[in-house]
Amino acid sequence: MQDQLTVPKIFLDLLNQVFEIEKKTSSLQESNSIQRNVNKLKELFENEFGLQLLKKSSGFTFHSPLGEEYDFTRTDCEASIAGSNTENLIITEVIKPIIRYREGGRVIIVQKAIVVAESKQIDK
Amino acid sequence: MENTINIGIDLGTTNSAIAKFVAGEVKVFKNPMDWKETLPSVVGFKKDTILVGSKAKEFLERDPKSVIGNFKRKMGTSESFKIKSINESKTPIDLSALVLKELKTFVPPGESIDAAVITIPASFDTIQSNATKEAGIQSGFKQVILLQEPIAASLAYANMKKEKELKDGQWLVYDLGGGTFDVALIKIKAGEMKVLDHEGDNFLGGSDFDRLIVEKILIPKISGKYSFENLENDLKSASGKLNKKYYSLLYKSEQVKITLSAKSSDEIEIDGFTDDKNDNVEIVITVSRSEFNELIKEHIDNTIEMVKRILTRNSFKPTDIQFTLMVGGSTYIPFVRQRVEEVLQIPINCEIDPTTAVAIGAAYFAATKVRQENLKGEQKGETQISIKAAYQKTSKEKEELFSAKVSGNINELSYRITREDRGFDSGLKKLTERINEDLPLVENAYNFFKLTVYDSQNNIIPTDLEMIGINSGFGISGQPLPEDICMEVDDEDHDGETKLFLAFQKNQILPLKRTITRVLNKTVIKGSNEEVLRVNVLEGPHTSLPEANKSIGYFEVSGRNISRDVHKGSDIEVTISISESRDLTVSAYLNMADQEFKETFNPKVRHTPVDLVQFEADKLNEKVDSEIEEAAQREDYETAEALRKLKKDVESLNEETSKLTQDDVTDAPYQLEDKKRKLAQAIDWATKDKRIALAKSEYLDEKQRCIKLLDDNGNDYERKLFNDIVANEDVFLTSTSPIKISEKTDELNSIRFTVLWRTPDFLVAIFKDLSQKGTKMNDHAQAKSLIEAGRFAIESQNWDRLSEVDHSLINLLPKSAQKDVTTKIGF
Repeated sequence: MQDQLTVPKIFLDLLNQVFEIEKKTSSLQESNSIQRNVNKLKELFENEFGLQLLKKSSGFTFHSPLGEEYDFTRTDCEASIAGSNTENLIITEVIKPIIRYREGGRVIIVQKAIVVAESKQIDK
Repeated sequence: MENTINIGIDLGTTNSAIAKFVAGEVKVFKNPMDWKETLPSVVGFKKDTILVGSKAKEFLERDPKSVIGNFKRKMGTSESFKIKSINESKTPIDLSALVLKELKTFVPPGESIDAAVITIPASFDTIQSNATKEAGIQSGFKQVILLQEPIAASLAYANMKKEKELKDGQWLVYDLGGGTFDVALIKIKAGEMKVLDHEGDNFLGGSDFDRLIVEKILIPKISGKYSFENLENDLKSASGKLNKKYYSLLYKSEQVKITLSAKSSDEIEIDGFTDDKNDNVEIVITVSRSEFNELIKEHIDNTIEMVKRILTRNSFKPTDIQFTLMVGGSTYIPFVRQRVEEVLQIPINCEIDPTTAVAIGAAYFAATKVRQENLKGEQKGETQISIKAAYQKTSKEKEELFSAKVSGNINELSYRITREDRGFDSGLKKLTERINEDLPLVENAYNFFKLTVYDSQNNIIPTDLEMIGINSGFGISGQPLPEDICMEVDDEDHDGETKLFLAFQKNQILPLKRTITRVLNKTVIKGSNEEVLRVNVLEGPHTSLPEANKSIGYFEVSGRNISRDVHKGSDIEVTISISESRDLTVSAYLNMADQEFKETFNPKVRHTPVDLVQFEADKLNEKVDSEIEEAAQREDYETAEALRKLKKDVESLNEETSKLTQDDVTDAPYQLEDKKRKLAQAIDWATKDKRIALAKSEYLDEKQRCIKLLDDNGNDYERKLFNDIVANEDVFLTSTSPIKISEKTDELNSIRFTVLWRTPDFLVAIFKDLSQKGTKMNDHAQAKSLIEAGRFAIESQNWDRLSEVDHSLINLLPKSAQKDVTTKIGF
C-alpha cells in the first residue's frame, strides 16, 4: 500500500478536542449527561461524517491506549519512556489518542497516539 | 535502467532523509510506517530485532546501552559502541549502514537503488568522509558519491530558482536542526560552488529549546502557584514521582514552540497530578513569543558569533555576502530569522524547505552523476523463497500467533511484518526456517499484515506469501446482515408519504449500532393523544417503498408519554442496535424533553400492533387509488390494469384488518401484515418503471439547470462537485432504484442553491416576493425595517447583506405560510 491518505487537520483537531473532553468528564462526578453529548459527537464522526460529507460509508474513530502494554512494535503510538526501566511497559498517560479512518473495509491510522509509557515494575 | 545515480541521501546526526530525481523534479520518499519525510538517525538492538528510527529514539535515553544515537559525531574514530542486549560491538560505520538500509525501505519495491549521493558535514576530514563512504558500501550501494551538506542545500536553492548560472560571489548556509548547528561560507565562481570555511556546535538544536520552555517557564510558574519542594527534580529524575509528566510537558512545549512561529502567544494546559500537599494541579500557562525569544536569545547569539568569526577569518564584510540561506527545522522560528538578519546585516533567504533541503540538493547532484558502467543493466540474482504460513483467519484474541515454515536459501536474509494500517511493525529480524510471531489485532476490524523478506542490503526478495488477513472481533459465526435495516421517515419532497432511511447496509457485520438524529416536523403536546411519533425499523432493501419491507421494531411516543411539550424543529435521536444474536434494541431520545424511550425486540416474536396494520392497510388503499389514477392519466394502460387487479386484494385486506380488535391474540395481525407487505411489494414492482422514469427526468432537468447556473456563476469547487456526480451517471441512471437517482438529484439541487444564494438576480427575486408578504409576517415592525434594509442593499449592490435580509424575512413568515402537512412519522 503506497498511497497515503491525507486527512484535513481540522478533523484531527476536532477529534482531539472530543478526546480531551471525554478525558475530563471521566474524572467528574456527574450523571453522565456530558458523556451523552460526547458519545453523540463520536457517533457523528464515526458514521455520519462520511455519509453526509462524502456520500460513502466512512468515518473516524479514536482510541485511547491508556493502560495497554507498550513495546517497540507498536507503531500506532509515539511514546516517551518515563522511569528508568524499559521492560514490561504500560501506557500511563495519553496526550493524544490513536485516530483511525475507515473507508469501506479499509482502516488506516491517521494519527498516532502520543503517550507516556512506564514499566510495570516499580522503580525504587 | 537509468544512466544517472538520481538518489540523494542526507545522513544526518539527528535525522536522515532520502530523495530521488525523477524527470526534472525531486521527490522526497516518505517512511511507509509513518509517512514522515525524515528518519531519526538512531539504532536500537533488541534480542533478535534491529530497530531504526523513531521507535529506537523512544528508548534512546532510557536504554543507552542498547540504543545508540549521535554516532555520526564518532565517524572516522576507532571508537565503537558496546551493545548490551546482543553482547556485540558496533562501529559508527555499522550503525550508519543500518540507517542507510532503513532509508532504502522508503523506496517503493521495484526501484533499483545501487548507487547514491550521500551528504557529509563541511567539517568532515578524509577519514570521516571515507568512513561515510564505507557505510554506504556496507549498506549495499555499489557506488557512493559524497557531497558536502552546505553545497547540497545551496543546490536545492539554485534548482528551485531554476537559475542555471548563479551570480558569482559568496553566501552563508546557516543550518540549525533538531540537535546540531552548522554554518558554512560558500563561494561560487563561474557556476562552481566551494565551501570556504565552516563552524559548528554539535550540541545545540530545537530540542534544547523545548527543554528551556519546561525549565524556565513552566516549572517556575507551577511552583509559584502550588507547593512543591523540588518540582524540577520530581519531573526530570527517572525515579522522580512526576517523571511521566515531564514528557507530557516536553511534548506540549514543542507544540507551543511550533505555534509561536505563527502566533504571538499560546497556552499550555497543565493538569492531572497533585502537589506535595495533595492539591490538584490545574493551571493554564500562557507563553508569549517574546518570552520564548528571550529564552533562546543567548543560544542564537552564540551561533551568530560563530558566523562572525568565519567572516572575520576570511576578511569579508557583511556587504560581501549575498544572503544567508536558512536550513534546518529550527530556522522556522521567526526570532532566529530576525535575529540572524538583524545582527549580521545580511539578508536571509528562507525559500527552501529547511528539513529536506539537503536530501533534495543531493538528489539534484545525483542527477548529474553518471552511474558506473558495470552497474548498468546488471541483473539482480533473485532468490526464490517459499513461505508456508499457518494462522487463525478469525480471532477474538488481542493478538494471534502467526507461524510459517520457510524454504529456499535463507542465508543472510531478514524479514519484517507490518500491519496495513501502519500500527504494527515487528522490526527487522533474522529469517529462520521457522517463524513464530504474535500479531496484535485491531478489534472489530479486518487486519491485514504483510511479511517482507530482505537481503543483507535491504533489497526486497520476492516470496510466494500473500497478504496475511485476520478478522478480529467476530468468529466464523459472526454474521453479516442478510438484508438492509432501515428506519421509516417522512418524505419531505412528497407530502404525506414516507420513505426509508438506511441505517445498516446488507452484509455489514453484527453487532451493529448507530444513532440517527432527525428533526421533528410536528409538535407533540404533553398529555394530548392527537399527535404521535412513530419509530418504525424495517428489514428489506432500502431502495423499495416502506410498505414493502418487514417491520421488525415499532413503537409510538405520544403526548401521554412525555414530560413536557416537544416542538417541531427540535431533535430526536434514534439509536438502533442489533446484537450478534440479532436482538434489536431501538431507543428514541427527545432532546427537548430529555427523555429516552427504549424497547428491545426479539425478532422471533414479531411485534405487530393491530392499529399499525390497520393504519398501513388504509394507506395502501389510498396509494393504489392514486397510482391507478396517475397511470390512467399518462395513458399507461398496462400498469393501470395491473394495479386494478391489485386493488381488489388491497380492498379485501382492508376489510379483514378493519375486523381486527386491538387485543387480538391470534396470528391474524401477523398474517395480514405479511399480506400487506406482499401487496406493497407488488405495487412497488408495478410502478417502479414509472418512478424510475420520473426520477430520471427530474435528475436531467436539475442537471440542465445546474449547467447553466454553474457556467455563469459557479466556482471551481462547485464545478468539481457537479462533475463528480455527472461522471457517475452511468452507474446510478441505469440502476433499478429510483431512490438512488433522487439522491443525486438532491445533491445537484443543493449545489444549485448554494450558487443561487449568492446570485444577485435570485436574491432580488426572493426579496421582491418576500416584501410583498410583509403585512402577513409575524413582526410587522421588524419586517418593515428589514424590507427597507433590503432595498438599500439592492441600491448599494451589497449582495451579502441582501442574502442576510432574505433569510431573516423567511424566518418571520408565519408557520401557516411555511409548508405544513400531516405527517405520519413525525420526523
